[in-house]
Amino acid sequence: MKRFSLKYTLLTYRLDQLWFPLAFLAFFIILTLLLRNEVQNYDIARAYVGFAVPLVGGFMAAYAILDDPALELRFATPIRAAQILLERTTLIFLIQAVCANAFLLFSLIIGVDFSPLGNWVNVQLCWLLPTITLIALGTFGALIGAQTMVGSFLVGLVWFVELIVRDGMAVNNWKYAYIFMSILSPEHPDLVSNQIALFALTIAFLFVAWALLRKQERYI
Amino acid sequence: MIEITGLTKTYGSGNKTVNALNGVDLQINSGMFGLLGPNGAGKTTLMRILSGIVNPSGGSIRINGHDLTTEAGKYAVKSMLGYLPQELGMYTELTAEQFVDYMAILKGLDDSRKRSQRVAEVLEMVGLREVAKRKIKGFSGGMKRRVGIAQALVNDPKMLIVDEPTAGLDPEERIRFRNLLVNLAADRVVLLSTHIVEDIGQTCRDLAVLAKGKILFRGSPAEMLKATEGHVWTLTMSGLEKPNHDLTVVSMLHLAEGTQYRLVGANVNGYSSAQPTQPGLEDGYVWLMKSTGQVVMES
Repeated sequence: MKRFSLKYTLLTYRLDQLWFPLAFLAFFIILTLLLRNEVQNYDIARAYVGFAVPLVGGFMAAYAILDDPALELRFATPIRAAQILLERTTLIFLIQAVCANAFLLFSLIIGVDFSPLGNWVNVQLCWLLPTITLIALGTFGALIGAQTMVGSFLVGLVWFVELIVRDGMAVNNWKYAYIFMSILSPEHPDLVSNQIALFALTIAFLFVAWALLRKQERYI
Repeated sequence: MIEITGLTKTYGSGNKTVNALNGVDLQINSGMFGLLGPNGAGKTTLMRILSGIVNPSGGSIRINGHDLTTEAGKYAVKSMLGYLPQELGMYTELTAEQFVDYMAILKGLDDSRKRSQRVAEVLEMVGLREVAKRKIKGFSGGMKRRVGIAQALVNDPKMLIVDEPTAGLDPEERIRFRNLLVNLAADRVVLLSTHIVEDIGQTCRDLAVLAKGKILFRGSPAEMLKATEGHVWTLTMSGLEKPNHDLTVVSMLHLAEGTQYRLVGANVNGYSSAQPTQPGLEDGYVWLMKSTGQVVMES
């Protein structure tokens, strides 16, 4: 039994969670068009895919599971915690993937050169890894605190602190948890280790989130 | 069949520990079973445990042979469960038909032809066929409850749990709802949790009263009434005089000759004009609470 419907997953998705990433996308596109400067266009593109997309993804993930009006009814059905988790976080990831790639495409069309970030795979990893890490963190935070606000606070805190201390993050042992390394230090010798570590962190956060979600009584 | 033995549920820890359920033993067979109790008695906790949402702290529960304290047991029970929670949250942007269809998918009804037939059937059953294509956000409280019961029934559950289903419904809706539940109880276990005594009296042949996490009474409504015989009186008093505090006023009526009180208590010593009267289930409930030392309303 599949116990899944894409149609209803989309129909029950809150529209304000769609407007939020779209508003960011529109803002950065307008900003790029207004500035029309080759160097600044590159920086704006990096800011959007490397910083805005992960942040928005993390915030949305904090609301993904608990902000469900029919949560108690859902819990009373025989669907597994893993399915709820994947269904909700995958949707958020896909929205962010579409936004990031739409902006990358737009940037390429107006002539932005992404070669300093490496090949196309590396460009994709610049938004993908921080996004999945913050999505996992947002989900984990909301579930461990049993409140959506805890998840979004945690995402905002990590994002802000890492942005402020970015130079320090790149040179000590915290470099493995440095979510902006791909976008800010693409030449860093430990970039691959950092990317593997971020992926592992994502899996760890999602695993704990899954274990927490099995304790359904915490959330009703 | 539901077998509950020594069930406990504790929330919090240290000084903030709350014993929501305190050694509950119950055996429930098919048919309509009423769970009565004041607010905060532990009814919703018990319903949620039986739905597999909340884990018990201790004791054992077996439903049709499945052990609800294990993951496999919970999965099996949820597969044969229909649940209508007290606080019914729904996706109000969906139509009634879509919502019930979605819940059917979550419950594992994969065959779309059979599913749409079943969705139509349950919407017909709850009298919502005509408005099936309307969005839930435009529905009244009663209609939303009916959508709730439709989703609970869509998988043809062997066990139906309804928690305070008539709260907020108008009298006509309540009667319709009660009749619907009685019909459904013909071939399954229907567990009705409520603090409205009348709902139980009109529908259940078997009931339990829960207070402070303990079962105070287990039996039929007739047995409850029998236990109350000799403890209910009517008394008419003039002026500002009121019955003493050992007696609980169940109802009062202003008449030309004074105020007529319906009283429940151990005795009416000192009131020679008090007339013994036939107890109702509400009197039975009040007497049970009073005789077991529970706090009942001010006299």
